[in-house]
Amino acid sequence: MKKLYAVLFAAVVGLASAQPVTIGILSPLTGGAAGTGQAQRAGFELALKEINEAGGVLGQPLRIVIEDDRADPATAVAAFEKLMTEDGVEFIAGGFSSGATLALVESFRTFQPIVSWIGGASSGIGNDDFDGIEELLGQEEWFFHIHPWDYQNVEATFDFIRDLGVQSVAVLHEDGAFGTPGAAGLEAGVEAMGIDVVLREAFTSTLAGGTGDFRATLSKVGAANPDMLYWIGYDSDAQPLSSQLKELGVAPKFVFGAPPGWPTGIEQAPEMECVMGLIGYLPNLPNPEAVAFAEAYRQMHGTYPDNYMAALAYTQLWSYADAINAAGTTDQAAVIEKLKTMTFRSPMGEWSFKPSTVAKHQGFGADMWLVFQFQNGVREIVWPADRATAPLAACR
Amino acid sequence: MDLTLLPQALVSGVLASGLYALVAVGLALAIGVIGIVNFAHGEFFMVGAFLAYQLFVSFGFDPLLSILFVAPVLFVIGAAIYSSTIRFVLKAPELNQMLLTFGIGIVLQNLALMVWGGDPRSIGGVPYRAMGIQLGGVSVGLVPLGSFVVSVLLVGALYWVLARTPLGRAMRAVAQNRVGAGLVGLEVNRVYLVAFGLSALLAGIGGVMIAVIQSPTPTVGLAYTLKAFAIVVLAGLGNIRGIVSAAIVVALAESLVATLVPNGDALRNAVFFALILGTLVYRSWRRP
Repeated sequence: MKKLYAVLFAAVVGLASAQPVTIGILSPLTGGAAGTGQAQRAGFELALKEINEAGGVLGQPLRIVIEDDRADPATAVAAFEKLMTEDGVEFIAGGFSSGATLALVESFRTFQPIVSWIGGASSGIGNDDFDGIEELLGQEEWFFHIHPWDYQNVEATFDFIRDLGVQSVAVLHEDGAFGTPGAAGLEAGVEAMGIDVVLREAFTSTLAGGTGDFRATLSKVGAANPDMLYWIGYDSDAQPLSSQLKELGVAPKFVFGAPPGWPTGIEQAPEMECVMGLIGYLPNLPNPEAVAFAEAYRQMHGTYPDNYMAALAYTQLWSYADAINAAGTTDQAAVIEKLKTMTFRSPMGEWSFKPSTVAKHQGFGADMWLVFQFQNGVREIVWPADRATAPLAACR
Repeated sequence: MDLTLLPQALVSGVLASGLYALVAVGLALAIGVIGIVNFAHGEFFMVGAFLAYQLFVSFGFDPLLSILFVAPVLFVIGAAIYSSTIRFVLKAPELNQMLLTFGIGIVLQNLALMVWGGDPRSIGGVPYRAMGIQLGGVSVGLVPLGSFVVSVLLVGALYWVLARTPLGRAMRAVAQNRVGAGLVGLEVNRVYLVAFGLSALLAGIGGVMIAVIQSPTPTVGLAYTLKAFAIVVLAGLGNIRGIVSAAIVVALAESLVATLVPNGDALRNAVFFALILGTLVYRSWRRP
């Protein structure tokens, strides 16, 4: 009888250990941020295919469960709790929207899975009135953050702005948790370089119920007459901001946008010529991993990736697979140790988790960012010089 | 507060009111004639925007030209939705009607997500999008001017139809008394079908205009639905004639606050919610 129990026990343990590793993903597949969520999903799908073709995770095909959080705080909390309680996942991936991430903080602390989080860039650093995600979660051993923090986003452009030789900047920003702290960091950094911030003005993003009529705000830019207009908003703000700027005859020497992505087809719009932007990944990035990712993505999805969130999602899932395989177990402490110490590959080059201002485990920093410029219908990388595909065009 | 920007704020506000009126008048038509509060109105607007985008991408159609195609397609979509769903809930409680239209909106949004994806889609080469006429320090954009003119013509045409044609008289009759209109021989269901189709058509044309102004996404209709509701409330539920003046009030209030108040653009949504609140409080106070 004892032998029978031993065999049954061994069979149960064997079955349990043969269960595929499942990673729960939160992403805004629908709603206003669906462009980002769909890009993330495309990146996850490509990584999943490649990981499983390469042998999977711990000898089993990797599984992912994607829940749509709509970038909405209440939906995100419900979706996360479903992943933890119904799907029983031990690893969380995905992530976008600072507002949704802030709502998830207490739920993350309650369940404490390993959370590898792409978005939610609002750090709270430099803002005494506001506790950001880096301040709230950065010290947690189980929290890993991939996308640069808001202050790293703007730090990336400080050297570039200095090189341009501008004397004055107008800062426009969407009035949410993404744009407001980013603009505060930008203003402080630019002023520290001795450049005047002649205007800082919030606007209602088209993602947050705005109609895309920015004429009132852009009139103020015209009155302030800056050398450079720097705006922080969302993808769908790019077109109306650029066209209305020209329509009003407001012509700063440089226009710089910092949305998370850019609308499909916008490079063909004549008013975008010379507009510059910050982006984490472009298919024409001159490194072999970037080219390989772009080609594999095109084969799977039919188009080249035009939202860098696809590259970040791809990178995130691969880092989980590599870390769990290296640990040889799903034990939380062992996987955390591997995530902390390993170097991973990505379309943006090699990377690893390192401490940032507060966070213990920060993936990419200011050096991930590239400055591109729309030139003749193409996004040419113009900075930093070692990754540039074209020189900066002087347009005005 | 920089008062030198006031003339531009007034011009921008008046021009924006045209599109607001066009979208709101369709919503008011559904409420006033059929008695349906259509929460899917913004999705008709979104479908119009994506059709204009697709016609541009596939055939190079100028968006203005695509109105000729989008308008009848949206009329047919509206009429089909009325025939297959709305007409069955006309006598149901209002909550059921609202839930139905809300559900239709979600279905249309997700269909758009399946077909066009979630990324904003930009109609690239529109040569006149960034053009403006400079008049004494004030810029009049060709796109806002064009959308204002088209909107005024369409709203004017709708008013003319309602006032001067047999169809318009029929619509007014069923709006006043559905049973009475039926008793005197009017085919109420057919009038409702035409009214709902027209409502979708007007929203669709508004969507074409927004496809030029910004980059359509499956949720692009939401902002304009909210504006349309504010305008309809301001005009009085079902009051089609009051829509134009209400649209001017909403658009001007937004433009003035956005221009004259620091960070005023971030208050745009607060402005129209304040107008709704103020209107409702005023109406309740006026009626003993």
